[in-house]
Amino acid sequence: MSCKICSRQVKEKGYCNRHLKAYQNIYEKFEMWKKALEVTWMDYLSKISKNSLTGEWAKEVAKQLIEDDRRNVKEK
Amino acid sequence: MRKYTLIIAEKPDAASRIATALDDNGKTIRENSKDVPFFVAKNGDKEIIVASALGHLYTVTGTKKGEWSYPVFNYQWQPRWIVEKSASKIRVWLKVISKLAENATEFVDACDYDIEGSIIGYSILKYACNGKEKTAKRMKYSTLTREELKESFANLLPHLDFDLIEAGLARHEIDWLYGINLSRALTLAAKNSSCRYTTLSTGRVQGPTLKYLETREKNIRVFVPTPFWNITAKISIDDHSFDFEYGKKAIETKTEATNISATCKVREGKIDKIDIKEFQQNPPVPFDLSALQSEAYNFFKYTPIQTSKIAQYLYVNALISYPRTSSQKLPPTIGYDIILKKLCKSTLYQELAQKLLVQGALKPNEGTKVDPAHPAIYPTGDQPDKALDASEKNIYDLIVKRFLAVFGEPVLKQSVKVSVDINQNLFFMTGYRTLKEGWMKYYKPYVHSKDVSLPKLFEGKKVTVENVVLKDNFTKPPLRYNPRSLLKKMEKEKIGTKATRATVIQTLYTRKYLEGVQNMTITDLGFGVAEVLRNYCPDVASSEMTKKLEEKMEQIQLKQDTKQNVLTDAIKVLKTVTSTLKQNQTEIGVQLGQKIKQLQLDRQTVGNCNKCQTGKLVIIRSKKTGKRFIGCTNFFESTCNASFPLPQKGTIKSLSSLCKTCGYPVIKVLISQKYPWNLCLNPNCPVKENKK
Ligand SMILES: [Zn+2]
Repeated sequence: MSCKICSRQVKEKGYCNRHLKAYQNIYEKFEMWKKALEVTWMDYLSKISKNSLTGEWAKEVAKQLIEDDRRNVKEK
Repeated sequence: MRKYTLIIAEKPDAASRIATALDDNGKTIRENSKDVPFFVAKNGDKEIIVASALGHLYTVTGTKKGEWSYPVFNYQWQPRWIVEKSASKIRVWLKVISKLAENATEFVDACDYDIEGSIIGYSILKYACNGKEKTAKRMKYSTLTREELKESFANLLPHLDFDLIEAGLARHEIDWLYGINLSRALTLAAKNSSCRYTTLSTGRVQGPTLKYLETREKNIRVFVPTPFWNITAKISIDDHSFDFEYGKKAIETKTEATNISATCKVREGKIDKIDIKEFQQNPPVPFDLSALQSEAYNFFKYTPIQTSKIAQYLYVNALISYPRTSSQKLPPTIGYDIILKKLCKSTLYQELAQKLLVQGALKPNEGTKVDPAHPAIYPTGDQPDKALDASEKNIYDLIVKRFLAVFGEPVLKQSVKVSVDINQNLFFMTGYRTLKEGWMKYYKPYVHSKDVSLPKLFEGKKVTVENVVLKDNFTKPPLRYNPRSLLKKMEKEKIGTKATRATVIQTLYTRKYLEGVQNMTITDLGFGVAEVLRNYCPDVASSEMTKKLEEKMEQIQLKQDTKQNVLTDAIKVLKTVTSTLKQNQTEIGVQLGQKIKQLQLDRQTVGNCNKCQTGKLVIIRSKKTGKRFIGCTNFFESTCNASFPLPQKGTIKSLSSLCKTCGYPVIKVLISQKYPWNLCLNPNCPVKENKK
């Protein structure tokens, strides 16, 4: 099976090892953002996906998570 | 018959210097045989001929010719002209040396006293001079000044440094075995899968270096910044403005930060505390090669290779001591005061050198690193024979000033840490004052005092708060490597030698594993190779194994291990590695083949397709007509037929830029003996219409 984002092989949670590491980082750093800015998960994702310091792979994961959420909302 | 002593130097420039220095009248006769120069000198009743190498004249190569497979474990040392097409000049060169050796009664190796130099001299004496490595004597010197060369010749070492040579041969042989086997494994895997031939390489030092770059790039690409805030205050004391910083440098929540900044909206504060400290700064330590490269990058942005080349030029011209050293020591035997007196002859350094001479006892502030063969880098004090160019002047100046500075007295400084209370919030600033300039006066402009002059201060003094600024910040990703930081990393991890590290980095560029100079970025192909190494031969890419091997090679030099042992171990490891690579050849090929295809596509790509919006415009050659044109990649899927004509002559280069008038991609056309020109792909571009 290939990664939700690229064509590489899935390691865990639907991500390849590169995007998995980015996903884990995003997940971990959310606690600090929540404390710092009282943001919601979606707000956070949108902020980091636009931040120029965010790494390329982390941006791809953030955008994909936003897209996933949009799709879920529509389906509901 | 003419009888003489034959001296072998490393390069023609050095040979000429040695001959001139050893000649009783300080003159040498340059003779030529088949365009190969050698230098004749008269020394007492002796005639001396100084011939030279041209760097390495021999190299390691496989025993079987023309067979392109792996694993390969049989090798031999051979003249370079047999192995490398570009080294054809060496054939005649070696013939001339062999001819000169026939009538020589005594042999002396005067190549640079380090691993590479020792191997160069050894292999010439052994192979070109018919086994004279056993009886040859050795000249050891660190500068090419007349005095030192004469002394070195008068006190020849009785034989070559065989331990150093053994260690060096082991290094070359092991590097060859690693390089040839791993590179062939990668290249063949890629070729079998993609049917395209692209030279891929890796090696004992290259593998781990690529891994550092890969790890750094990955950390950057998965990086997620986190916010923090800091607060600064502009405070006026006696009509002078100063920048103060809030005590907590990174405030983690916006609420806390805004609360603090809100309570600071007052006009007045008072000095809470003044903390004055005096401290000393010792002089810098003498330059070893990597410190020189690092400082040269810092001030002049010269790459390590550039600095190394410039330093080598200064050395060959007897202006500085041997630069490829890892020593931070300057022994008294180099003659501190003699060098300083010589430097007094230069208008640039006269004043500074004079100051040191009257200062009294000269004692350099040495570092801890040692090099068994050479001291740290220092100027000889000799004046240049011909004018130096700008970059040579820069490096020379840096070396002289550093040499002078290491003898200077410590700098005495005072730090004044002031805290100001703004409505019970403490803000800080530290100012510095130089009390005694010490060594800094010798090292200008490469050191700044960073002094801040402060007005009269006392605790409780009222100050005016001009403004308080709350700033949003984010944590930063790690920095990409640059030539200096990557070299430092390799040195810290103890992989490679000072002579080889810069070349390894260069190879990563040549192989297209790496892009950018100031921000070194690993390419997709680099990622691919690093990944293959990690998955199929993790040991090869690990610093651990490379480091261990480096240690073993050092042990050969110290007689604690033998070359044979170390090579047997290395071959054992390689046998396992190559067999794993062979077993997984197809899989590896698929991985690398994709990257190579992508790389080649990128090279042919001139921009995005405006017509279908999804394809890329690439250079295509028509199978029918043989003519080239630009087409869309979706053409192959029959979904887009965008195409543009191209000039049939010359080289086309992608500029990755768009036409300012019509927005179509622009390419560069290069035809020999013509000025290159930029061409907009759009045949109906208004600019072209106007020209009509
Ligand atoms: Zn992925």
